[in-house]
Amino acid sequence: MSSFRKALKSRQRNHHERSQPGFRKHLGLLEKKKDYKLRADDYHKKQNTLSALRKKALDKNPDEFYYKMVNTQLQDGVHVAKKATEEEEITEEQKKVMRTQDIKYVEMKRVAEARKIERMKGELHILEADGKQKNKHTFFVNSKKEVESFDLAKHLNTVPELVDRVFNRPTLKTLETKNIKGAVDPKTMKKLAKQRNHQYKILSQRIDREKKMYVISQKIQTRKDLQDKNKKVKVKKETHTAAAIYKFDTKRKR
Amino acid sequence: MRPGFSPRGDRGGGRGRGGFGDRGGGFGDRGGGRGRGGFGDRGGGRGRGGFGGRGGFRSPDGGGFRGRGGGRGAPRGRGGGRGGFGAGKKVMVEPHRHEGVFICRGKEDALVTRNMVVGESVYGEKRMSVEEGETKIEYRAWNPFRSKLAAAILGGVDQIHIKPGSKVMYLGAASGTTVSHVSDIVGPEGLVYAVEFSHRSGRDLLNVAKKRTNIIPIIEDARHPHKYRMLVGMVDVIFADVAQPDQTRIVALNAHNFLKNGGHFVISIKANCIDSTAPPEAVFASEVKKMSGENMKPQEQLTLEPYERDHAVVVGIYRAPPKDKK
Repeated sequence: MSSFRKALKSRQRNHHERSQPGFRKHLGLLEKKKDYKLRADDYHKKQNTLSALRKKALDKNPDEFYYKMVNTQLQDGVHVAKKATEEEEITEEQKKVMRTQDIKYVEMKRVAEARKIERMKGELHILEADGKQKNKHTFFVNSKKEVESFDLAKHLNTVPELVDRVFNRPTLKTLETKNIKGAVDPKTMKKLAKQRNHQYKILSQRIDREKKMYVISQKIQTRKDLQDKNKKVKVKKETHTAAAIYKFDTKRKR
Repeated sequence: MRPGFSPRGDRGGGRGRGGFGDRGGGFGDRGGGRGRGGFGDRGGGRGRGGFGGRGGFRSPDGGGFRGRGGGRGAPRGRGGGRGGFGAGKKVMVEPHRHEGVFICRGKEDALVTRNMVVGESVYGEKRMSVEEGETKIEYRAWNPFRSKLAAAILGGVDQIHIKPGSKVMYLGAASGTTVSHVSDIVGPEGLVYAVEFSHRSGRDLLNVAKKRTNIIPIIEDARHPHKYRMLVGMVDVIFADVAQPDQTRIVALNAHNFLKNGGHFVISIKANCIDSTAPPEAVFASEVKKMSGENMKPQEQLTLEPYERDHAVVVGIYRAPPKDKK
């Protein structure tokens, strides 16, 4: 009986899903079962993922932590481990030594400069520089009347033209009896004045340089001090003429 | 005078200075780190260090700037030829208002005194010589940045009362740098009693006095003039650079003992040393007032501005009442 049924089946026409009828052709191809199956499976997979994620989110532990959270970073959408911190080129210790050497060098140059300045000041006494700091000269006299009739040239016993020549106001007697020695002709004097001005220029340059080097060494020192991990507060900002000022917490040294 | 280390190697015990060439004593640092008594504000530890033992390049004719103490031994140009400035044509020396003091203007611009001990620098200062016919006159630069008296002179003080032939008492002589110039001014006829308390700088002072017969060094406390009363005669002028809070009293004590009637005093005042809280003008005024109470009548007062800060020099006349007269 069953064989008969099987034999019958071979005669039977296979079932074919129908295709889109002609009058609905404008709606495109008609979906077949196997197409539907694919689509539905995909849909459910996605839905399941979503619901799983939703569930996970609801179950999330707010205190969760993994070191990867810190040690990796996104690079083009991919988590990549950050660079290992161990392999620095210069250690703190080395930096400190280098700074110490820098300071020593600058200091050495500065001291050499200061010594040269000292030596130049020994022979350049700023006799008549313009813009030089004025001093204050007070005379004490006996009565008010003398104050009113006070005449500087007369008091100093010199000629009025020389009153402003503070570094040397020869008395009338000196002017009469003594004379200038050495190079007196105008040509040599002019030449000497030129040389003198040059010397003053060099001196002022050296003074400037010495000041600058002082600032530099102070700034390096501050950088070096900052390397120590002591507690500190910045008191004053760095300027181009002074290093920054920090106040460090006092710490007992043993 | 060959370049090299000094035979006086004993001087710098532990100073780490290196020997000065035999230069007649370089008073480089004016006695750094003096204790209390030493009138010691004058720049201890100036950090000059240097002046290695090379000595200068001595030019054969002894003229001109010899590049004394060529610091780091850099040869100073000017090899052979006529070292010095031939017939004194490289420098112009004009007489100063104060006798014995000169202004030297050449490549340098300096206050100078005529060197009494020709060929010797006292503290490494520059020397310059001028030929006048046959005779050669040597001058020494007097640094106003280091000497209050020089600063006062360049500041235009009216009178210093120190002139050839006068007898001067110098309180607070330190290493004798300024004293050497005062001795130049007073010359062989005059006398300088140089009082200094600190032994350390007193030693340098003694070395200066060895070369200069008109200096009488006294290593004593200027607060106790009776300790050296046997050494000192009447003087014409007292110069004081002691930088002590009671310096007016110190000067007055010495004036009562040694200053002649109508003699003069020149006092250098450092405002910080008297009272560091008050403004300098007030300090000067109070000192001037103190002087008036001691029979010392101030005549002029001068601040030392471009050379020193908050310093003043007071010059005045002393007239002791008959009962104080010694």
